[in-house]
Amino acid sequence: MSHAIGVDVGGTFTDVVVSGESVTVAKVLSTHGDPTDGIVSGILLALGRAGVPASEITRVVHATTLATNAVLERKGERVAYVTTRGFRSAIPLGRYARVEEDRYDLRFDPPPPPVAPEDCFEVPERIGPSGEILEELDEEAVLRVAESIAAQGITSVAVCLLHSYAEPAHEARVAAILRETLPDGADVVTSSEVWPEIREYERATTTIMSAYVGPVMARYLRRLRERLHAIGVTAPVHVMESSGGVMSAELAARRAVATIESGPAAGALAAALTGHPDIISFDMGGTTAKTCVIRDGRPEITHEFHVGGKGSFGGRRAGTGVPIKTPAIDLAEVGAGGGSIAWVDAAGALRVGPRSAGSEPGPACYGLGGDEPTVTDANLVLGYLDPSSLGTLSLFAELAEKAVDQRLAWPLGVSRAEAAHAVHEIANAAMGSAVHVVTVQRGIDPRGFVMVAFGGAGPMHAARVAERFGIDTVTVPPHCGVGSAAGLLAGDLSTDRVLSRLGAGDPGAVFEELAAGAAADLGLTLGSPGVSVERSADLRFLGQAHDLTVPWSDVPEELAGRFVAKYRQVYGIEQQGPVEVVSYRVRLTQHATTPPHTLTTHTLTTHSRPDDEPAPDEPHRGHAVTPHERHADPQSRAGSSDTPQILDGSAEGLGDESVDVPQVRGGSVGTPRGRVRAAWFPECGGFIDTPVLTRDRLPRTPGPAIIEDAEATIVVPPGWTAVLSSTGAVILERAR
Amino acid sequence: MTESITAEVLRNALVVAAEEASIVVVRSAYSTFIVEGSDASAAILDAGGRLVAQSMATTLMNSMALKIALPELLKDIPAATMRPGEVFVLNDAYRGGVHTNDLLVYRPVFSGGRPAYFTATMIHVSDLGGLSAGGMAPLATDIFLEGLQIPPVRLATAAGLEPAIEAIMRANSRTPDKVIGDVRALIAGTAVAATRMESLLAEHGPDGLAEGIDAYLDYTETRTRGALAELPPGRYPSSYAIDDDGIDLTRPHTVRVTIIIGPNPPVSSPPPHTLSPPTAQPPPHAERRIGRVPGIVLDFEGTDPQVPAAINSSSSQSLAAAVFAVRCFLDPTIPMNDGCLRAIEVRLPPGSLLNAHSPYPCGGRFVPIYAAMEAIFQALSDAMPDRAIAASGILQPFSIAARSAPYWIHLSYDFGGVGARAGKDGPDATGVHFGIGRNSVPQVEPVETRCPLIVESVETIPDSGGPGRWRGGLGSRTVFRFLADAHVTTRGDRLRGAPPGRSGGLPGRLGGFFKRHLDGTVERLNSKVNNVRFDAGEALVIETTGGGGIGSPRDRPAEEIHLDLKSGKITNAGAQADYSLTSSPVETM
Repeated sequence: MSHAIGVDVGGTFTDVVVSGESVTVAKVLSTHGDPTDGIVSGILLALGRAGVPASEITRVVHATTLATNAVLERKGERVAYVTTRGFRSAIPLGRYARVEEDRYDLRFDPPPPPVAPEDCFEVPERIGPSGEILEELDEEAVLRVAESIAAQGITSVAVCLLHSYAEPAHEARVAAILRETLPDGADVVTSSEVWPEIREYERATTTIMSAYVGPVMARYLRRLRERLHAIGVTAPVHVMESSGGVMSAELAARRAVATIESGPAAGALAAALTGHPDIISFDMGGTTAKTCVIRDGRPEITHEFHVGGKGSFGGRRAGTGVPIKTPAIDLAEVGAGGGSIAWVDAAGALRVGPRSAGSEPGPACYGLGGDEPTVTDANLVLGYLDPSSLGTLSLFAELAEKAVDQRLAWPLGVSRAEAAHAVHEIANAAMGSAVHVVTVQRGIDPRGFVMVAFGGAGPMHAARVAERFGIDTVTVPPHCGVGSAAGLLAGDLSTDRVLSRLGAGDPGAVFEELAAGAAADLGLTLGSPGVSVERSADLRFLGQAHDLTVPWSDVPEELAGRFVAKYRQVYGIEQQGPVEVVSYRVRLTQHATTPPHTLTTHTLTTHSRPDDEPAPDEPHRGHAVTPHERHADPQSRAGSSDTPQILDGSAEGLGDESVDVPQVRGGSVGTPRGRVRAAWFPECGGFIDTPVLTRDRLPRTPGPAIIEDAEATIVVPPGWTAVLSSTGAVILERAR
Repeated sequence: MTESITAEVLRNALVVAAEEASIVVVRSAYSTFIVEGSDASAAILDAGGRLVAQSMATTLMNSMALKIALPELLKDIPAATMRPGEVFVLNDAYRGGVHTNDLLVYRPVFSGGRPAYFTATMIHVSDLGGLSAGGMAPLATDIFLEGLQIPPVRLATAAGLEPAIEAIMRANSRTPDKVIGDVRALIAGTAVAATRMESLLAEHGPDGLAEGIDAYLDYTETRTRGALAELPPGRYPSSYAIDDDGIDLTRPHTVRVTIIIGPNPPVSSPPPHTLSPPTAQPPPHAERRIGRVPGIVLDFEGTDPQVPAAINSSSSQSLAAAVFAVRCFLDPTIPMNDGCLRAIEVRLPPGSLLNAHSPYPCGGRFVPIYAAMEAIFQALSDAMPDRAIAASGILQPFSIAARSAPYWIHLSYDFGGVGARAGKDGPDATGVHFGIGRNSVPQVEPVETRCPLIVESVETIPDSGGPGRWRGGLGSRTVFRFLADAHVTTRGDRLRGAPPGRSGGLPGRLGGFFKRHLDGTVERLNSKVNNVRFDAGEALVIETTGGGGIGSPRDRPAEEIHLDLKSGKITNAGAQADYSLTSSPVETM
């Protein structure tokens, strides 16, 4: 039996999923000094629980925030930047936008450039827009620059020359001279290798970021492989890229920028695993909420995003971060999470965020010294959260009440519950704006989509956010806490290539060249089984600047027709006129060997926790369920040998390193436990006794209701009904 | 109850409605400015002409134009005669517009059978005639030379563009297809925002939405007044000079302002040129407020008279400059809408540079209004030395166009250096005025792909920032070498009188427009020139002016001077001449 491991290293937790006949998960705290420590302990824990020897692991897929953090914390490698003579200032000058309050800020400072002005160099050469050589490369000058860079002790170099997408020869020659001159092991990245697309600024920043995080990524992946070897895992390590494909560790080191959004990409794939064709994924954590759209089972892809930029109304505002020109899952993110602080501004308006209480001091109810009310405090006041505890963390309801009273209700002159509900609503609206960005603003009608809710806070808000868009179905997957790690195993081995070439005479040749390059990247042979090539192109109306990507067709009329149709969808304009192709794209894919259905039909057997991680307030529940019929007739098959067992980890099992003893517990299925607590719903006129159920004992339940399990609290508002699906997901449906 | 405390939700929705309109315009327009990276403007107004919300990238210049022009549109075309699906346009500079190339497009949003709101969009369109392609006519002596004037007219009905208007626009444009493409983009933008407004009307009900908007404007006014109350009371006079009008190069022109901050500013009967409070009738549902004592008065009495040259401004643009400059000294997070305007009184003498009458040309309005902004900055810097900013280099627009058909045109601007701020150096080559960022400067590759020219360099000019304890921002140098014969048109200022420093800081280095001949000699052009002939092989050099410094350069610490040397912001020669640095020169690239 072969097994695969998915590892998602997040800011707080490292999640490990081992898949094979069933899925086993482990969740440990991330180790920031050396993330491989957390990975190794998580894998050992998960393997132990699954009873799988390390030697049976055939594949490891990894999502990491290493590249993101290196960019955000400016902890990458020092980079020298080499460009065409005359443009040494271009990167330091930047192309930032000034938006919103920056507009009126006389003390505004431009964002610091990704490379220091004194580390920017230029070489005499010139290539024209059609690839013609206007001025030969001055190799003597390149040598002098290389010596200067060497003298500075810089060992990572980014090269971006004008129009190199049309003719890469000069860049290649500059790189060769640099490699000859710099010490062994120096990294030289050229823009024509990284992302040969027109517009020099974004191409340069993408190249610079590659040089900036590449060496860090290479060292890290080298260390990870050594650590895995040491525990007997010799399978190849794959890394998820921002667009949801996976690539080899070697390629990930060369294309580190392509991994910047690897965690969120895995999350989107996990949402896609629920099997619905049209999905809006909704992931709300402590500080932000993220959302993306999946259509026909595929997440929407964007070709440019910004790292470290300012968010505004759900969009990531161009010009406020470092632009990265690689494909990424099209996410919208807003700074609204459980920790977002609610406040009353000078003119008496209630506001939520953008400041977050984070984990220290955290929401007021944590009792860690925070006295500002957060979204979590509001949810506690409203009775949505269990007032006795959140995991191992004891909550202090009176502190939440005090914070809401003193900071919000009294200044606003409203009741505590009204203030708390307003905070809840404003947070919902902020998250709604993120959904708006990826749907309505893209010309997509969200009605008929299924919302898949993740994250600690997502299921508490999801139904309310869904209501704003006329979405009638919300799914909360069985173990939403490790959803991203599960999504890793669904990623196909794939990579993307692009080339800007206006007026290319023979698109077929361009595509062949791109496909061959992509195949070489992945070490695959074109035409072998399971390997597919997807061709697309960026088109625009002649005379416009903005292009749209559409699937390629060799028939020009058909290609233009696709473009016009997409233009109409996105902008709502019936435009006519000649169109031109700007860029050609291929995506080469070898389909994943782990069939996704194993992930949807088998669920968690154990759930181990480190001591300091929040644990459920009730006896530990391994909420395993059988596929199919679980809800309809649990007892009839519970004991049969060909079906995964219904497991209920007992309290004694908590922290037990061995596999929990299966305990058939059919009789209690569907029996509510009779708990109620007062929760506030405006439709009910205020506080109302609300049934509190657990996921593994969930009968069909009309709202208002609250469903709790180890990982999340689900709020079922009035008008919604909760049912448990055959795969263990809680499905909320709204009466139409 | 919850309705009023979740007002933030409605406020964001209004801004998002405007934001979506501007996205659609940017993505679908053909205008060179937009194609090369500039943003479109979009706003939501009510039928009373109140500015309700604007998109994030909308400059105040454009939202003030949209605000001032809407009542003028309604004078000519009463709201009661408007039908769903209709769209209206104007560009009349004397009735709120800016100059002929900026089209203001409005679409009514109906409630109870009559227009309750208007969604509006605006860009600098591709070309609408005039002396020079793309809309720059720096030597125009009246508005008729600047391009086609459009009074308020119906642009489209539910059935599509008005054929007569389309025909007139096409006939008056060097790029007829592109200008109509731009018009379609503007119309589409208003449609998107109107759809959002319709859903807000459905969600909140007509009265609920009106009340929510009233509360939003009141809230903004409260915050604006609160911020104004924190400014030090007093009368602060200042002035700023314009180099010349481009025709008579011997005579400067001056914008003068007196700022009155205080609990009891003089309340006389409002002078005829008072622009705030707005002259428009409030909508029937708007509750009126009690007495309106402005929190600040900006009186431009004493400003030089309008001239028959393109350095005048229409009133909407001067209002924008005044409000922008004041806002730079207030909490920057205050929303921008009519509530803010209610707290600020701006007095613009009719017939002055800042409030021109027909037919005085207004195309070069940024020259006088940047002088107005600078005068306000300097007056408020006098009032609040710890928040002072020295004078800045300003943007230097230029156009490069084919000398004959087929037309190609490159229309752009470069930024000057920003003045030093008390406690901070000035940023290099970026906009301080109206807060535009460098993302609106075109990239080289697309421009070279589109036009027969080579961009030889884009670089900062060492030593161009005004020396001081806090150094002014650097200017930039861009060189275009032509591969085909071309016409060059420029519109510069602060190229003769350098932006001064403050408190012992020195002025920024003067920039200019230059022609580099085939033999390599470089000739300085006047700051405002029209259709100068350049032959293939010749080059246009654009150097922008640096910002002024603050404090004596002798007080600048040696380590900061060394950092400037290392990063190439100053040269060894500059370090010695400007900062008297004699020791340890650093080798620079």
